[in-house]
Amino acid sequence: MNRTVFHEPRSLDEAISLLGTAEARPLAGGASLVAMMNARLVEPAALVSLRNIAELDGIALLPGGGVRIGAMTRHRIIAAEPRLSGAYGVLRQAALSIATPPIRNMGTIGGAVAHADPAADYPPALCALGAEIELAGPAGRRRLAARDFFVDWYTTALEAGELIVAVNLPPWPDGSTGFYDKLAKVAGDMAIASVAVVLAMADGRCVRAGLALGGCGPRPVVVPQAEALLAGTTLDATVIAEAGRRMAAACDPVDDTRASAAYRLTVVPRMLARALMQAAGGRA
Amino acid sequence: MIIGLTINGESRRLEAAPTDTLLTVLRDGLGLTGAKRGCNQGVCGACTVLVDGQPMRACLSLAVNCTGRSIVTVEGLAEDGEPNRIQQAFIDTGAVQCGFCTPGMVLSAYALLQENPHPSEADIRVGLSGNLCRCTGYRRIVEAVQAAAEGDRR
Amino acid sequence: MSRLSQVGVSIPKLDAREKVLGEARYIADMAIPGMLHAAMLQSPYPHARIKSYDTTKARALPGVRCVLTGDDVPDSRMGAFIKDENAIAKGKVLYVGEPVAAVAAIDEATARAAAQLIDVEYEELPAVLDPAEALAPGAPILHEDLDKYFKVFAAICGGNLMSETTIAEGDVDSAWDSCDLVVEDEYTTQPQYHLSMEPCGALADIDANGRITLWSANQSVFRVQANVCEALSLPMSRLRCLTPKVGAGFGNKMEPHIQPIVVALAMKARKPVKMVLSREEDFETVRARHPFRIRIKTGAKRDGTFVARAVELLLEGGAFADDSPGVLGYSLLMACGPYRFAHARCHGRVAYTNKMRFGAFRGFGNPQVTLAGETQIDEIASRLRLDRFEIRLKNAMRQGDRWFGGQKVESNGLIECIEAVRKQLAEVRPRAPEPGKRHGRGVALCAHISGLLATGAIVRLLEDGTVVLNTGAVDIGQGSDTVLAQICAESLKLPIEKVAVASPDTDGSPYNWGTTASRVTYTTGRAVVGACAEVERQIKEHAAAILNAGTADIELRDGGMVAVRGANVSLPLSAISARAHWAKGGPIVGAKTLVYEDPTIDPKRAAASGLPFGAIGVFSFCALATEIEVDETTGKIQPLAAWYAVDVGRAVNPRLVEVQMEGGFVQGMGFALSEELVWDGPRLANPSLMDYKAPTALEAPHAISTTIIEALEPDGPFGAKGAGELGIVAVPAAIANAVTDATGLRLHDLPLTPERVLEAKLAAGT
Repeated sequence: MNRTVFHEPRSLDEAISLLGTAEARPLAGGASLVAMMNARLVEPAALVSLRNIAELDGIALLPGGGVRIGAMTRHRIIAAEPRLSGAYGVLRQAALSIATPPIRNMGTIGGAVAHADPAADYPPALCALGAEIELAGPAGRRRLAARDFFVDWYTTALEAGELIVAVNLPPWPDGSTGFYDKLAKVAGDMAIASVAVVLAMADGRCVRAGLALGGCGPRPVVVPQAEALLAGTTLDATVIAEAGRRMAAACDPVDDTRASAAYRLTVVPRMLARALMQAAGGRA
Repeated sequence: MIIGLTINGESRRLEAAPTDTLLTVLRDGLGLTGAKRGCNQGVCGACTVLVDGQPMRACLSLAVNCTGRSIVTVEGLAEDGEPNRIQQAFIDTGAVQCGFCTPGMVLSAYALLQENPHPSEADIRVGLSGNLCRCTGYRRIVEAVQAAAEGDRR
Repeated sequence: MSRLSQVGVSIPKLDAREKVLGEARYIADMAIPGMLHAAMLQSPYPHARIKSYDTTKARALPGVRCVLTGDDVPDSRMGAFIKDENAIAKGKVLYVGEPVAAVAAIDEATARAAAQLIDVEYEELPAVLDPAEALAPGAPILHEDLDKYFKVFAAICGGNLMSETTIAEGDVDSAWDSCDLVVEDEYTTQPQYHLSMEPCGALADIDANGRITLWSANQSVFRVQANVCEALSLPMSRLRCLTPKVGAGFGNKMEPHIQPIVVALAMKARKPVKMVLSREEDFETVRARHPFRIRIKTGAKRDGTFVARAVELLLEGGAFADDSPGVLGYSLLMACGPYRFAHARCHGRVAYTNKMRFGAFRGFGNPQVTLAGETQIDEIASRLRLDRFEIRLKNAMRQGDRWFGGQKVESNGLIECIEAVRKQLAEVRPRAPEPGKRHGRGVALCAHISGLLATGAIVRLLEDGTVVLNTGAVDIGQGSDTVLAQICAESLKLPIEKVAVASPDTDGSPYNWGTTASRVTYTTGRAVVGACAEVERQIKEHAAAILNAGTADIELRDGGMVAVRGANVSLPLSAISARAHWAKGGPIVGAKTLVYEDPTIDPKRAAASGLPFGAIGVFSFCALATEIEVDETTGKIQPLAAWYAVDVGRAVNPRLVEVQMEGGFVQGMGFALSEELVWDGPRLANPSLMDYKAPTALEAPHAISTTIIEALEPDGPFGAKGAGELGIVAVPAAIANAVTDATGLRLHDLPLTPERVLEAKLAAGT
């Protein structure tokens, strides 16, 4: 009855050219795409499996600091990767809180980031880290800051026919910590709200902060002024509360079946304060 | 299209459309009805099978995308038709009520013990957190996994 | 009673092996050669007249064999209490999602595509989505012919009022003046989805004579038979109902789901037809727990003696009455809890609304009223500065007390249950909370009734002395086959390996109302004991003749033997059975049927109106304590431990009793904390496991302990009573009381979401 065609390209260029046809969808882990197909929300004319494209695999430390994570890397691998320590712990914790173990075995960072669910776990973690998304498409390669990549509800800056190739995490000072806190109704659920915090501290003072909120609007909430506010301080209660207020003011949550917008606005400053205390205390 | 799948150690060739999930192919194509369709959205866990030793959702896996991988279903766990150590532990501790979650639960437990032969209770609960059970309250299931792990020590 | 060797033993369930091997066959696993697959079209409107159908495009789709609409079914109606429901929507649709047409085709994808090609012309009508609005003058009326529908009881109904019931004792209105403290509160509870792991399904086959064989996911083959035949105007002898393995029910499979549609399709197509609901369809069209609005008033003396209670209930019933009158009546009956109240008046109404039907769900209204009653008792204790156990002990029903309404309670282990939990709490020190968390403990009591209506058992001694037990009771996973086999084996002193349990079959099984109301162990168990007694009598007659003794001197011995008491001469049952089969008397069969008869209301003591049942069952009791953690940052509640003490009479299989408590706690905590069906206008907004969240292994408390108290029920099988629902009833109340213990906050609306807790905390300035 259905006429969907299945492709298994072995190179990125081949995949990109296949995706150039109308209604062709890339297939990564399948956790999101096949769920949508089962619910009859999408009926792709073609499926382009990415599983045989070696360039999309692997985690590599970059010369000069930083980490490059291939788009087809499974959540389970990211969650267990010892090299994602310090600041990058925020991404590890985010990966560990995605859905359930079988989904973590299937789902990929590329697939999750491209899906851009506003309550997903990677987007705020990537924004807090200041990560870059590496893309490849018919017009060639480009990079985009994560903070510019998530545009709207389930919408990214991906152009037609473009694929996520990798996620690049920038270097953070030695001794930085990252912390991800997710509030959900039950384990495995999407976040009601989540908080991603990355801190570089020196002599008891914050040198640099990366903050982002999930589940509080169409895209991760990032407020550079709130991050700047923390820099240079000892992260006392007053400055933390002010940072929380500014971030809450930038939120645009909705009422949904998980919680009301009002609750999200109330709870995120509280969660942010707790996360900052824990990250500052090195208890991430 | 005709695809080749390795199921419970056996090579099978069968007809599958690109949009057929592994769950559909297992149940309708191969008569392996142990994996259940509880939600078709990857949430309930009743469709869980092992792919290259890792628990995955058969309802979210496209059969055509599973070629070249080794798939284990609950039917592949029995040893000479007898329950394996984990399955027997489920029977003995009372971890089976309606049984609809049981195949997926047993496979998740099996994979957990393969990777972590001596899990803590917390490890077990994380390992099983992707399998919903509405009947038992989970306590007996955790006990069954502990008993199976313990049995392995001897 | 002599020492028991099979009853009281935690043997593994008889069906566990096939289930762990993945060999158990549920409805979705079944296939008949040549069968068609069916799918349905659902109503887009909450209330509309059906003007016409155009099935042309659907019928023209290749692979389609049959299309069914309301025009194909008679205008006869089924219903457990009020017969208000057609086999499929006919003339009107009453809720968004209601099945309005169905297709049988060569495969499911074709059937689903064809169903979407059916054009239905509707005339939209105003809808009503709130029970109070439904009962207000001028509300749109769902069932214009309500007065003409057959009702199985003297229903007080009319307009959108489905049922109105009152039970009263003493003189509540005057009693308040004699109270030193009166508390009055309102509570609301939300609809809960059963979330049986197996979605509903059915498979109907039809033979050349038009006789139908129907397998379906069900809790009662006899209710399926009655409902399908009523809805399709078939003689019941034309339909044979069977059961595959069932993946749980909790009440959602007791009354019909798609069976009438599937049978109607099979009759029209004259081919076997199978239909299995998607999870989404299961959410939208089966049934759910009633949302309650509760007003409760309790008066007490300064010393803590309870004096009076008044309860007002408003239930939302949805589009069809289903079990609503029963849930309402039962809730009122249980609304005083297991306590002595000299004066009480419990009154309630349930209204039709344009939503899916609300129906039976483990607890049957008792969890909701127990939430209200037990939190009020804690509130009274707090204000009177009395210990929460002391006040309960002071007022708890004693042996010999009668229940609200006047029914005699034969066995009552309530006090022992309370003392057991109290002791356990005292022995286990509360955990110290981490920074940012608070801990609290809550206690709640409840009783629950097991029993009701009719049941039977047939025990046949096969030629070789082994036995087949046939009761018609559906094992939905709780282990009734195992428990009934244990009762049979014990009664006949046979090893359990020699007892086979027949699968329920309306052709061959004695009538069994169903696996519901925690009734099978007590009710069907009694029938098994009775049938075995008859078999024993016949065995002894044969033995007496063979062994040349008086029947009074014959005894059964362990291992399937029969002997002369005190003598060393014995016979195997095979010898007895051989004689019966080949020589004398005929094959040995014992049968026993019964219907529960003890009246609920004693008119000398209580007045009741609109009560839909006359006799219910026997009482089991429960004391529950739970320790919870509250996250002060977010308001999220996490239960840490639970302690049960339950009087279930004789525990035939103690481990199966414990699992009912453990599972009941987790299902109850889901109801208390995170589960909620949410409507967006007339449409169910979260018919998906993505958006409807039940507890996982990570939420469930690690420690749930159960102490079994055995206050033997005189006419229970070996003294047994029921346990299935007991585990859930007190859970929301215990959790709510624990929240108050932890935070000082008293919340009145379920679920106790992080949002509600945090909001209350901030409002209280804490």
